[in-house]
Amino acid sequence: MKESVVKIVLLLFILATVILHMTGCGSKTAQDAVGRKGVQEASNLVIRLEGGDWGFPSPFAHYSRGPGASKMRLIYDSLLEKGEDGLIPWLAKSWSVSTDGKEYTFVLNSGVKWHDGKILTAEDVKFSFEYFLEHPPVSNTLLIDGKPFIEMIEVLNENQVKIVVNEPNATVLDRLGIVRIIPKHIWESIDDPKKMMDIDKLVGCGPYVLTHYSQEQGAYRFQAFQDYWGPKPLVDTLEFVPVSDPILAFEKGEIDLINVPQDLMERYLNHSEYKILKSPAFWGYKLLFNMEKKPELADVNVRKAIAHATNIDELIEKVARGAAVPASPGYLPIDHIWYNPDVSTYEFDIEKAKELLNNKTLNLTLLIADAQEEARIAELMKINLAKAGINLKVQSADMKTRDSMVKELNYELALIGHGGWGQDADILRENYGTSVARDNSPASNIIPGYSNPKINDLCQRQLRELDVERRKTIIMELQKLISDEIPILPLYNTVEYTVYRPEKYDGWVHVFDHHEVTHNKISYLER
Amino acid sequence: MSMNRKKILKFLLTFFVIITLNFCLPRLMPGDPFFFLSSEQGDITATYSDEEIQRLKAYYGLDRPLLIQYIQYIVSLARGDLGYSIYFGNEVRTIIKNRIPWSISLVLLSVIIGGFMGTSLGCLSAWMRDRMPDKILYSALVLVSEIPPFIIGILFLFYLAADWNLFPLSGGMTPFADSWSWTHRFFDIVHHGFLPALTLAVVHMGGFFLIARNSMITVINKDYITTARAKGLSSGRIIFRHALPNAALPVVTRMFNNLGQAVGGTILVENVFKYPGLGLLMRQAVLVRDYPLIQGIFLTVTLFVLIMNLAADIIYKKLDPRIL
Repeated sequence: MKESVVKIVLLLFILATVILHMTGCGSKTAQDAVGRKGVQEASNLVIRLEGGDWGFPSPFAHYSRGPGASKMRLIYDSLLEKGEDGLIPWLAKSWSVSTDGKEYTFVLNSGVKWHDGKILTAEDVKFSFEYFLEHPPVSNTLLIDGKPFIEMIEVLNENQVKIVVNEPNATVLDRLGIVRIIPKHIWESIDDPKKMMDIDKLVGCGPYVLTHYSQEQGAYRFQAFQDYWGPKPLVDTLEFVPVSDPILAFEKGEIDLINVPQDLMERYLNHSEYKILKSPAFWGYKLLFNMEKKPELADVNVRKAIAHATNIDELIEKVARGAAVPASPGYLPIDHIWYNPDVSTYEFDIEKAKELLNNKTLNLTLLIADAQEEARIAELMKINLAKAGINLKVQSADMKTRDSMVKELNYELALIGHGGWGQDADILRENYGTSVARDNSPASNIIPGYSNPKINDLCQRQLRELDVERRKTIIMELQKLISDEIPILPLYNTVEYTVYRPEKYDGWVHVFDHHEVTHNKISYLER
Repeated sequence: MSMNRKKILKFLLTFFVIITLNFCLPRLMPGDPFFFLSSEQGDITATYSDEEIQRLKAYYGLDRPLLIQYIQYIVSLARGDLGYSIYFGNEVRTIIKNRIPWSISLVLLSVIIGGFMGTSLGCLSAWMRDRMPDKILYSALVLVSEIPPFIIGILFLFYLAADWNLFPLSGGMTPFADSWSWTHRFFDIVHHGFLPALTLAVVHMGGFFLIARNSMITVINKDYITTARAKGLSSGRIIFRHALPNAALPVVTRMFNNLGQAVGGTILVENVFKYPGLGLLMRQAVLVRDYPLIQGIFLTVTLFVLIMNLAADIIYKKLDPRIL
């Protein structure tokens, strides 16, 4: 009998060893392609960042959530790029728009090489747009409200492309500009791009070449492309590695940059070894009102009462631990390039809230996802709203359940946290302009039971206005109007503090519409 | 023979019920794989209009009637095709195949280490029953087994990995080490797996200790042990040769129980060490409603539990001839 026990233990041990060996085999699926042409062999500066799996970085296979897209963009360039202050020329050295706003002509830089050494042509550009129309990439800008707007793409000569759109629209340049340009000679033979997982076919014209990807380890390695047409890459090798605790990893020198919570800032403040960057506040929470289900909310005074009874400063202090700024009732956050500082604001004032409610009481249900922060916001709001006579019942559901309840308009109040608040001011239309079909982006649900012709009109006018200054004036007016009406109540926008060692690398920079320095490619390039 | 056939039939029926449940459960959850309203703190989510979502649903065959989807699922399953993950953009089979060795080796090692330590200490404790060492061991192990695994993991991470630099902070292996030799890689993997395995082992140890101690105490009071003592045999010989084999049954049950939990039981530890196991993947698959992947992982887990139960049955018979 004892022999069999010994045998079993022995067997299990052998099995364990075999499996460990197999593990080694498994990880080999992630191929190494260092040998590929054009990769800088003698690397000097290696930057390591927190990794995690965000998908195979092709325009079709990275994950829809998180920083997968930014990794893909290191490999693929676009006609325009997002700079520190706005769109900047990139693959296209210049562009022009016809007076009717329907024809966009881009002039390409010459001598742009793909990672495999072939030359990028205007044909590739035309092909990319056509391919994306047929096979939508994960993040697709070639649809407005779910419909395609490109009518025709024409190659004028070897470095000029003309794109004709169906109607003038202020957001088109941005939408066309950030579309990735992909090589025709690789993709024309691929019918199902979602399933293309071959690292050797990940040929772009961007500053970095992917040389290693492991899905299960969550590791990526990018190496600078020697023949890059544009600004010189300053980081030779960029590695994304799995990290258990970012602070520990940073202190041990395993990674070169972290975002630190406000509570730990002391550790890095006034230290010459470290530099701290504050991010623009482009991630935030907002409160949705369902005026269809709860007609009382259609009364602007009730919405204002809720705004007055919400202590934003307390939320920032207790929930965001100080790392946030109050959101603008006009929606565009304080760091947005078109933020209007003169919008109506609603200071915390319980008496005023009571007055606005005529001392009536109100029962409301607030739907939140089962995240800690959301529960804290909800509980703090509940306490203050109760003082004003509004009884808040908090209903918590898992994220996807919450999402589907909001989609089915099965809520009274809902709390949503999402990014992208720094994007083109057209997000105002997507949030407030009810002519938009009900689509599914975080920033674009119609407001059930609410319609304001003046807001709708301004939303449409800004979209058609091609003159930047005139459009900006409309956006300013729109923000003011929205802040008076508060059909949605923005709560606060979070900021991040990025800490790094400038001695190792000091090129980190924020682009005008995004909050993360590691997500944009100009952080890695000579400026 | 008929007994065996009955058993196999039962096994197959269980399996069929389980794959049907695997198909239905994810689809009963509210929400779908494409609709995201919010994003993680600091992140952006790509979003889709209704037209795009319809297109994606058609691409993944989710627009067809449920019965058709179910039949297709069974048919492809019969061909060994687990489908294509919606969120992770890869074959479900590949995703699971790449992760399962990590999960299984982690659990196997931790159960073996935890089982060995727990059982040995349990035997010792039973032998010294009611004396000081027993009392100390008993309270210490009960205490340890009640600490949540992630706290033990974080403590190990802080002291053994960060402060003393003995182990790597995270991951299953050193990234980008493909050019290393086999042995180098093997030791690298063991090095990375040590802390997660130790954490789980500590968690398992308490249970093994209590069961081994209990079972041992019953056996020690039997007459043949008194006889063995009377013969003047050494304590070690009595415990390990005469008592343990007879006290081992519950320990073996426990061992296979723990092995059966290979996937679900490791989530917290995987999270602390960013270890590439199946547990975290399962959690995320449920979170994003990735139906094919949820089905695939549940199926793997089910198979694993069934196999472990079967193995436990077989080993039982070997260990105790009284069981038919």
